Amino acid sequence: MSSRGSRRTRVMRQWDWSLPSRPVSHREVISAMPDPPAGRPPLLMVHGIAHAAWCFAENWVPAAAQAGFPAHALSLRGHGASAGGRHLRRTLIRDYVHDVMQAITELPEPPVLIGHSMGAIVAQLVAERYPLRGLVLLTPAPLHSAVADLVAIARDRPADLVRAVLGRTLSMEPDILFEGLDPATARAYSDRTSTESPFVQWELLLPQRVGPVRCPVLVVGTPSDRLVRVEDVQRTAHAYGVEPVWFPGMGHDVMLDAGWERVLDTVLRFAADLPPWGSVQKV
Amino acid sequence: MSIAVIGAGPHGLSALKALLQNGIDAEGFERAGDVGGNWNYGAPTSRVYRSTHLISSKPFTQFPDFPMPDSYPDYPSHVQVKEYLTSYARHFGLVDRIHFDAEVVSVAPVGDGATWRVTVRNPANGDLSSTEHDGVVIANGHNWSAKIPRYPGQDSFGGRIIHSADYKDADVLRGKRVLVVGAGNTGCDVAVESAQNATRTWHSTRRGYYYNPKYLMGRPSDQTADLLLALRIPLALRRQMFKASLRFAVGDFTKFGLKKPDHRFFETHPIVNQQLVYYVGQGDITPVDDIATFDKEGVVFTDGSRADVDLVVFCTGYLVTFPFLDDAALHLDWHNGHPRLALHLFTTKHRNLFVSGLIQPDSGQWTLAHWQGILIARYLEAREQRPAVAERLYADATGQAGRRYSAGTTYKDSSRHYYEVAHQDYLQSLQDAINALEVPA
Repeated sequence: MSSRGSRRTRVMRQWDWSLPSRPVSHREVISAMPDPPAGRPPLLMVHGIAHAAWCFAENWVPAAAQAGFPAHALSLRGHGASAGGRHLRRTLIRDYVHDVMQAITELPEPPVLIGHSMGAIVAQLVAERYPLRGLVLLTPAPLHSAVADLVAIARDRPADLVRAVLGRTLSMEPDILFEGLDPATARAYSDRTSTESPFVQWELLLPQRVGPVRCPVLVVGTPSDRLVRVEDVQRTAHAYGVEPVWFPGMGHDVMLDAGWERVLDTVLRFAADLPPWGSVQKV
Repeated sequence: MSIAVIGAGPHGLSALKALLQNGIDAEGFERAGDVGGNWNYGAPTSRVYRSTHLISSKPFTQFPDFPMPDSYPDYPSHVQVKEYLTSYARHFGLVDRIHFDAEVVSVAPVGDGATWRVTVRNPANGDLSSTEHDGVVIANGHNWSAKIPRYPGQDSFGGRIIHSADYKDADVLRGKRVLVVGAGNTGCDVAVESAQNATRTWHSTRRGYYYNPKYLMGRPSDQTADLLLALRIPLALRRQMFKASLRFAVGDFTKFGLKKPDHRFFETHPIVNQQLVYYVGQGDITPVDDIATFDKEGVVFTDGSRADVDLVVFCTGYLVTFPFLDDAALHLDWHNGHPRLALHLFTTKHRNLFVSGLIQPDSGQWTLAHWQGILIARYLEAREQRPAVAERLYADATGQAGRRYSAGTTYKDSSRHYYEVAHQDYLQSLQDAINALEVPA
């Protein structure tokens, strides 16, 4: 059982009951299924700020299916081909949690949830309320507030601090996201990033309360990440009693940067070793 | 450890899931051939009728870890509910853990109650079989055994009398003169269907009620109620706000010929029906008093008036019964016609016998079902791993057995409302109990 003692199960969710998220008419899920089925748990991948399902669909979804895992990448509302763009400027992290929960209920069994960056916060908020098979956090934005990360970003790029405060989307320039890609590919990926909800970016600066997570957790970081500090990745991992797995030489977007195969391999080995859902404990 | 869960309705399913989720071996027993319990339309113990829709909206009604699809409306139909419960059971791998067509005929302690013997009958061939379990969760529901009142002259009545338990659709009403008895949510639903289909409809109620609309200011009214709770508005003020909004939206009920409510808001189980008052206003429903006597042609009411009717539908509720327990009075600590439970869940005589679902919340229900299941599972888990913590919780809970969770309200007619809970008050107590099991060593 991996959770901090101080985390308490949260039963009372009054805002969810009284002001539920607005339903969206369509959610983009890009899937690839192994053929033949190999009895592996499904993987559900959730992107970070200004990204969408495409970032996982590019490499990971087909490669994971090839390795025997039903693989699904979700576009949160207002991102990719999902509906909700009209309301993006009013979207909150809790709306993204709603989107992931909706995607989960469409799967035939509990998945391994993979969250990248801001998507890792969403994934942890899902993990406290839903019995996941496993939780994977890729270069996770910190639950305990990203103020320090923003300050670090501001030292390199002061303009970004201003953008974030004003509610403009953080800069997704190629050199921020990638280390090992050729410039043309990096530029092409960077150009595919879109707009983010200003409220979601502001919410990242606030600490998020998360209850106990009772499934196995894997945390992935890179020492040269230009968005999330090494200390914050460590702190996230330690909250679950694990050490991060580091991938030196890679940028923030570990699912796209050169070397993505090695990261995916680590994730798939983690997923393959998970106990079946509902397996009886040997006390 | 192996736990038997009796019933595969919402409470049985969520209990089974919670146990499996916490690594506890468990199996379910269900009389019907499918999951759903009350929502398994057409099954012998299902009491939903063709037109049944939820009267609470999705957010609190759904399981918190398995939301209803965005494509569902605010108030889904029983068909959608069944589909939802089926997908919940499939998603969490419960279907393989449930014995279907297995009617539980006996649950009895072995020796001092360290284990329980569960005997089931196959309805098809009558075969009996028994298994032994380390614990039992009873989730057999409390809305299936019809409560039928007796009035003088009832046997001489020449028309037909049915209970809402046997009411499936409006065909039975068509072209008839109908008396609907009871102003619970079913009574109001049937009265409305009767207004749409019968030649005449009388609706007999003992007292006046607040007929709440499904929507208030464009939002499902239970969400508005939860918003006021989230904003910590005190009970007295919430009462005034609800009364005022009803007055504004509908007006004075007595002007429609309905009785004046003899109680304050929140003192009886809420009735959610927007159409009843409408049909009363159109003259399609005639509100009448309690029944005094029956005669061959019809019914005489307590105010002396009479009505000649062809059909009487008793929407008079259900009895709580555990026909399979070898000694329910003993095991469930029976007092004044009701089991005496702690947290509406723990039994006071056995640490391995639980009841789930014996609650009637002023809200949706399956968020409560979920957390009842989680508390049972965490308690059983703690009994293995941290016995002292588990024992402390059990002692604390059973020390307050029979406590009501009414959020400061005094319920009218307390026997009728014995299982009534104010949902947030009760849920907070479940939260406290779960947190008590999570206290760091």
